[in-house]
Amino acid sequence: MSARRTELSRRGFLAGSLLFVAGAATACISDPIGGGAKGAGTTLNVWYHAYGEAGTQQAVVRYAESFTKAHPDIAVKVTWVPGDYAGKLNASLLTDGAPDVFEVGDFSEGLARRGQIAPLDDVYGPAKASFNKTALGYVTVDGKPYGVKMIDDVIMLHYRKSVLDKAGIAPPADFAALRAAAKALTTKKAKGLFVSNDGVGEAAPAMVLSHGGELVSGGEVGYGSPKAVEAITALKGLHDDRSLLLGFTTDWWDPSAFAQGVVPMQWCGLWAMPAIKTALGDDFGVLPWPASAAGGTPYVRVGGWVSCVNAKGRKVEAAKSFVRWLWVEQTDLQKDFASAYGLHVPPRTDVAAATGKLAEGTAKEAVALAARYGRSNPSTWDASVSGPLVTAAAKAVRGQGDPARLLADAARQAQTAVDEQLS
Amino acid sequence: MTTASDTTARAARAGSPAAVPRGPAPARKRRTDRRAWGAFLLLTAPVLIGLGVFKYVAIGWSLLLSFSEAEGTIALGDWVGLDNYRRLFADPAFGGSLVQILLFTLAVVPVTFASSLGLALLVHRVRRGRAVVRTAFLIPTAVSYVVASLLWKMSLFNGLPAGIANTVGGWFGMEAVPWLQTTEPPLFWIALITLRLWLQVGFYMVLFLAGLQAVPKELYEAAALDGATGWRLLRRITLPMLRNTSVAVLMLQFIAAFQAFDEFYNLFYGGISGTSSAPVQTPLLHLYNTAMGAQNYGLGSAGAFVLTALIVLVTLAQGRITGFGRGEE
Amino acid sequence: MKTNRPPRPATGAPRPAVRAPRPPARGLRPAVRGLSIGLLTLLFLAPFYLMLRNALMESAALTSPEWTWWPDVMRWENFTALFDDPALHMGQALGNSLLIAGITAPVSTLLASAAGYALARIEVPGRGVVLALVVATLMIPGSATFLPTFVVVGSMGGVNTLWGLIVPGLFNPFAVLLFRNFYLRLPREIEEAGRLDGLGRLGLYGRIALPTSGAMLASLGALSFIESWNAFLWPLVIGQDPSAWTAQIALSTFLTSQTINLPGLFAGAVVTIAPLVAMFLIAQRYIVEGIATSGLKG
Repeated sequence: MSARRTELSRRGFLAGSLLFVAGAATACISDPIGGGAKGAGTTLNVWYHAYGEAGTQQAVVRYAESFTKAHPDIAVKVTWVPGDYAGKLNASLLTDGAPDVFEVGDFSEGLARRGQIAPLDDVYGPAKASFNKTALGYVTVDGKPYGVKMIDDVIMLHYRKSVLDKAGIAPPADFAALRAAAKALTTKKAKGLFVSNDGVGEAAPAMVLSHGGELVSGGEVGYGSPKAVEAITALKGLHDDRSLLLGFTTDWWDPSAFAQGVVPMQWCGLWAMPAIKTALGDDFGVLPWPASAAGGTPYVRVGGWVSCVNAKGRKVEAAKSFVRWLWVEQTDLQKDFASAYGLHVPPRTDVAAATGKLAEGTAKEAVALAARYGRSNPSTWDASVSGPLVTAAAKAVRGQGDPARLLADAARQAQTAVDEQLS
Repeated sequence: MTTASDTTARAARAGSPAAVPRGPAPARKRRTDRRAWGAFLLLTAPVLIGLGVFKYVAIGWSLLLSFSEAEGTIALGDWVGLDNYRRLFADPAFGGSLVQILLFTLAVVPVTFASSLGLALLVHRVRRGRAVVRTAFLIPTAVSYVVASLLWKMSLFNGLPAGIANTVGGWFGMEAVPWLQTTEPPLFWIALITLRLWLQVGFYMVLFLAGLQAVPKELYEAAALDGATGWRLLRRITLPMLRNTSVAVLMLQFIAAFQAFDEFYNLFYGGISGTSSAPVQTPLLHLYNTAMGAQNYGLGSAGAFVLTALIVLVTLAQGRITGFGRGEE
Repeated sequence: MKTNRPPRPATGAPRPAVRAPRPPARGLRPAVRGLSIGLLTLLFLAPFYLMLRNALMESAALTSPEWTWWPDVMRWENFTALFDDPALHMGQALGNSLLIAGITAPVSTLLASAAGYALARIEVPGRGVVLALVVATLMIPGSATFLPTFVVVGSMGGVNTLWGLIVPGLFNPFAVLLFRNFYLRLPREIEEAGRLDGLGRLGLYGRIALPTSGAMLASLGALSFIESWNAFLWPLVIGQDPSAWTAQIALSTFLTSQTINLPGLFAGAVVTIAPLVAMFLIAQRYIVEGIATSGLKG
């Protein structure tokens, strides 16, 4: 008797799990991603990386809803992607589940030349003239714009006025002064400067550029040059002093280390200014990454995000109308996005001029710094070009090899990748 | 799909002639054979088709892809011969990752081996509450590398003076250091190895415990009569009797260490610069960056091939040397 | 799987109840041994304590230089916030993990048992070839082929789908081999009785052989569940869209994310490991047997 029951339950179990599989499989096949508004003809899948400032996610959902109100036949599903955004995006672009509209942080010409993103010359219209030249040039490949810059991010050095004053240190004007300041501000319990948790990722390009070197210019990788070697050797000095904060819980783009008083100087972006102000009031100032004494220029990074349209998607026209509506036409929403959550500079000069928060105090200084020293990463700067520099610099600052040789090898390797992008 | 059906077709062809000459009643025999075949196919088909598609076809496709220029696409067609392999071997990062994983394996395998054996010997002698003790050591096996990395990175080994490793170091007069970023001396190894140790030691301890339980009591009694004690018992009897277990454990540890990815990714991921500033790169990390970061699937496939070939070669060599893997036929 | 367990054949695994012979204890003093075991046990359990403590703390208290053993006010809202955060998808991720492991464990084990039985007990010409094909895949490391498998699954439209996450993990050549060895040792007489009752080959498997393998199914199923629940590289590659994240990916995503809510992260970790820890405590016997079996019979 019991044997019989055993067998029945076993069979039932087998059949049950097979049904389960079949059910799950059909469920996935019929609805791979799910979501999307009902009743609309087309649903656009729009990807954003996870912005850190509270309210941003709700804001982009609100924009999407307004867009659907204006275009009832097009619904928009917003996908908010934390973590390894570039990796996740790249893998998704190979598939049917690829987003129709997505933002990219480091725009790369490769995306355009491989036909992964659509040219957007018809999206700009007459408003093209009001975009700032840098933002437009950044996304232009062979004379055509392949994206619309959504925000300009100004990335610079932040310092605590009170802490520097107390130590009798002036805001550093060149790299030697920065190194000395970082060293002087380092105590047994605290470090002087925070550039990133690895001490290399953000600092290596900043050092190369502020020492008069180049990353990529005219299709040539420049970070194998003697100036770059000098820059990375100088960076090693900063590491050797043990004055850099490394291995903090949050990374450089988050102001926590600076705002909580863990470190008196941090490389961070304008986006964090509202949070820093809340924590520190007026007790902070901004600086460019200082130049080397011999022939360098101060450096401020102008980053930001670019909205692109998936050229291989099936909804290119709808996607274009979304990008045009939001990032070209809706100046109020652009202002809201740039200033209501984190602080950013709108790429449309007229919108930027109308953004009150950028016209006062430290934010105004930051905008002025960007205008004077600001540089964007080269438009070939994807993982295969930036990776070798970071890897080589990381080895060099740890003393695992001769900087000149490491950088020359890295530059050679990156050149192959650049050539591929440009061919 | 193709591979699986090829296989069955070939097997079917091989099957029919064998059925003919044997037996006095060929017709009946053939029917039985067909039935046997039906049952055999029905029972093995899911696994054969699955392995066919996800192993054989996958590897075949990927081999072709490794001879193609495939950037931002996984379609075949743009043949470039051995270019990807040439580029792979010219890339110091790939060679470096192979060297580093070898160092990692050489460090982590002996430590885990010795710890799990030692722990098994200790636990084996516990009289009361053995189950509780065993559970305590085994339960970290339930924890994923992601969770362990989170603990290690954010709590145990962060760079803050309040971090636990730094607090403990402070008791001994050590200065607070960023553990994961310090390469002189290479402190990040401590984080990497202790993490794996915590996660894996219980698993291998259970293997050794099973081996210890299989050692016949009489051997110890005989040796005890000879006056052997302590270390000598261990060296003369316990360890030789654990030879098979030890070989199996070493093999499993080697394969697991060589494929390390999870903790390296989660401990060293540095935001926009990805894992390129990590003090160590494992081959899988390198492949992940090549494929998922730089979208170069041809180059990535070439790397996957070299890595697979290496592991297969080492496994074969190890099997030949130790005799492990020859089933109980 | 635990209900109506048939009599268990010897799997070669240790039976924990039997006390092993013990060499005379003289090397280490029992007190020293007891103490060191006690300390080691604490050391191994300490990370669990840390996880729970961190999950219940306030964010600022976590990075403060002042050490606290246990928060004065336990912030259980860290756990509820986990499921309220729209960007984290924790509820959905846990559901995905449960679905994936819940399908993978029984299905992969049953498929392996079926194939293992056929390879052990159904004599057809060419069986050796099939066995060789299965064994050959054993040598190829699973994670080194993540890219080839991604290429195939990707071209079949499996990225961001549950089937893409599940199906490639259903075929376990190692388990096939373990089951084959198991069925090879199954006494012929048991099957003979069934044959006299008129059972065909499938019947012999389904009604005679399968019911004898309950312990094997449970052990290997438990291991498969753990492995599937904790898998990282494959879900990382294939589950790009938040709707296809597993619990591990959701957690890793937040570990590598722009802003980090540390207590929330630890609360997530606690939630992620809780089901497995519970399983370890309940089904430990099967897990121990599973480890011993799969480790030694390779």
